[in-house]
Amino acid sequence: MVDMKKMNWKPGICSALLAAAILISCQKSQEKAASESKTLLEEIANGAFPYKRLSTYGFFKGDLNALDPVDLVILYKPASSLFTDYALKSRYVSIPEGQKAQIVDDKIEFPIGSVLIKNFYYPTDFRKLEGERRIIETRLLIHEEKGWEAYPYLWNEEQSEALLKVVGAETEVKFIDYSGKDQVINYIVPNKNQCKSCHNQDEILAPIGVKIQHLNNELDYGSVKENQLAHWSTLNLLEGFKGADSYHSMVNYEDETQSLSDRAMAYLDINCSHCHSDEGPASTSGLFLTYDQTDPLKIGINKTPVAAGKGAGTFTFDIVPGKPDESILTHRMKSVEVGVSMPELGRTTVHKEGVELIREWILSLK
Amino acid sequence: MRKSLWGLLILFSIFTLFACGSSSNEQSFDSSKVARMSQEEVEQVIEAFIMAEDSSTIQIPEGFFELNTQLILDNKNSVKIKGAGMDKTVLSFKNLKSGGEGVKIVGNNITVEDLSIEDAPGDGIKAQHTDGITFRRINVTWTNGDKSKNGTYAIYPVQCKNVMIDECIASHSKDAGIYVGQSENIIVKNSLAFGNVAGIEIENSDNAEVFGNTARENSGGIFVFNLPGLPKSDGKGTKIYDNDVIDNNHKNFATGNGEGPNGNTITMIPPGSGIVLLAAKEVEIFNNRIHNNKTTGVAIASYQITGFPAEAPNWSPYTKNIYVHDNSYERKPLSMPDLTRELGQLISVHNAYGPGKTQDIIYDGIWDEEISETIESNPMRVCIQEAGIENLHFTRFYLMGGEDKIESFKDYQLFQNCKVDVATDVSEIAAL
Repeated sequence: MVDMKKMNWKPGICSALLAAAILISCQKSQEKAASESKTLLEEIANGAFPYKRLSTYGFFKGDLNALDPVDLVILYKPASSLFTDYALKSRYVSIPEGQKAQIVDDKIEFPIGSVLIKNFYYPTDFRKLEGERRIIETRLLIHEEKGWEAYPYLWNEEQSEALLKVVGAETEVKFIDYSGKDQVINYIVPNKNQCKSCHNQDEILAPIGVKIQHLNNELDYGSVKENQLAHWSTLNLLEGFKGADSYHSMVNYEDETQSLSDRAMAYLDINCSHCHSDEGPASTSGLFLTYDQTDPLKIGINKTPVAAGKGAGTFTFDIVPGKPDESILTHRMKSVEVGVSMPELGRTTVHKEGVELIREWILSLK
Repeated sequence: MRKSLWGLLILFSIFTLFACGSSSNEQSFDSSKVARMSQEEVEQVIEAFIMAEDSSTIQIPEGFFELNTQLILDNKNSVKIKGAGMDKTVLSFKNLKSGGEGVKIVGNNITVEDLSIEDAPGDGIKAQHTDGITFRRINVTWTNGDKSKNGTYAIYPVQCKNVMIDECIASHSKDAGIYVGQSENIIVKNSLAFGNVAGIEIENSDNAEVFGNTARENSGGIFVFNLPGLPKSDGKGTKIYDNDVIDNNHKNFATGNGEGPNGNTITMIPPGSGIVLLAAKEVEIFNNRIHNNKTTGVAIASYQITGFPAEAPNWSPYTKNIYVHDNSYERKPLSMPDLTRELGQLISVHNAYGPGKTQDIIYDGIWDEEISETIESNPMRVCIQEAGIENLHFTRFYLMGGEDKIESFKDYQLFQNCKVDVATDVSEIAAL
């Protein structure tokens, strides 16, 4: 079959002309939305979700910003974490008293009234993680009669309360990073419906982190160190867990003792597969990035893009084995331009460590 | 080959005199004259999308709305989104900070009408997993001077059923203005696409009719493609009729200035293309005015011509069962085919009428050798019945012998004595 790529007719003259053309880019003025701290009337916890104030739910005791959970609110932590502009996250699950989650067909099903609570915060200085911090937002996923619903709460400047903000927001965050450098991030709080851009399985809103493969690992609860799902079972909050060996478990991509390919697939799974899966909105692309994907074409190896537009840069394939710098995958991870950068939401800075991991992995592919 | 190289050299010399192609920044109206709305008024629109109930109407008043977040309608039934008119209600996404598209729709029985969408960094308006989606009198465009900054698709239904696009305008997108992908039961009618790389594109879709549209001043007018490796693996059944496919000579800006084609198929399309079929199945093209496209009026091509890997499950790279008839052709006077893309160069250099001659119909002549040893039996059933075809520039290439053995033929007779029944039925959605 004819191979048109080999035809040696590169239009050198035209390229030169085009290269000489001058690009003019416009600086966009940026508008910062300050967090609201308007006073609201006290709310009563009447069970009619969503509440306007985070405090009304009663998830935390004492000062709200200490995020100190009450008894039935349990800490959890997926093995690998989605990158969100270097924000740190603390996650809790609240299961209604007397009820249990159940494992059915290797999936965790939560009773109505369960709430997943995820706090996004930045330490003032990443070298002192236990020091001063600023909580930006708390996102709730509430399992209601009609299904899961997502509600974003934006913290006020005084850090005394977080208020429901369905239209989203934007706020500037300053911190000192691990290496002691000053960083400024233009943090974007998604609007309520954007939550589903990621939390989407067949157009049904669905949790991401509370899957068996993410939680089938040990967590330090302070008093005890235990497999998370075993811990839930001990607390009578989970039924049907048959022991850690009966299920898959994903590695932590930050754990350098694990194999490069396991780490890379874990990274792609937690950062990409919520969209890039059979059930996700990016199924249109034919690129599927779940940790258990084995079809090279579906992982993107020598696969041409479909609707990538300028996201493709100057490149031909999603992944070129051995050539990370000619792969669209890393190109989009390295970009912060809207329309190019991936994931589409939740990232306005480059995750350097993530890019390095995926580069190394592509370099190792043959 | 030597002769053609000389030809190429001469062509390049002439070419440099004409620069690299035309460009357009035409706008349908001046949106800078529309009154700017306050942040509260903008937030009301965002909230209206978030809080929308089934069977309701989201009425967006006259005004220019500067959004910095996406408008998403999530899994709703029978919702109408209605502006005050495409030159009155403008949703601008110039300041969008994150998100793949300006407006995103998921649900059933959704209508979007009478508004404009500007400057979304990704796609303008996207509908996905929606059964019953109507776009009527919407204008989707980009206002950047540098078009390489523009978004990918203007109007973008994907993985949808029962799609109606009526009286819309799509302009200046970096890929396709109106792009229907991985969908079924589709009408695109009475719409205008200009200044895009591709005007209107039907991709991996079934049962589509494209009629009464104008596709002008794009790099290419109307495309039917099937790309490999997608959840909807192949598509078939498209009728393209009564369209004006005119002056599609815009430079291909799907990649940035100075950059050659990348892995997006659209980046390979030579400016000056009227109607292009790529790995297409069951397509009927009739009664169109295909005028002044400098490279070729109609291109019938198989996916192998891209040079990309051409294997995928449940998908064929061949274009087959095609019926082209009763169209009107006019070749652009005093012009020559594109030289910026390899396909343009192939046509410029190797067509059957001499270097630099614009073509009316080209067929890449790539056929499935498992069906027939030769092309003489017309194994892919490409049927062409045009009045006065002896006066048209028809070239059939032979590319299967490698780059040193490229041949071309004027043998339209091989394809003349057949027809294909392309069955489409869009009567169910005609009332949408």
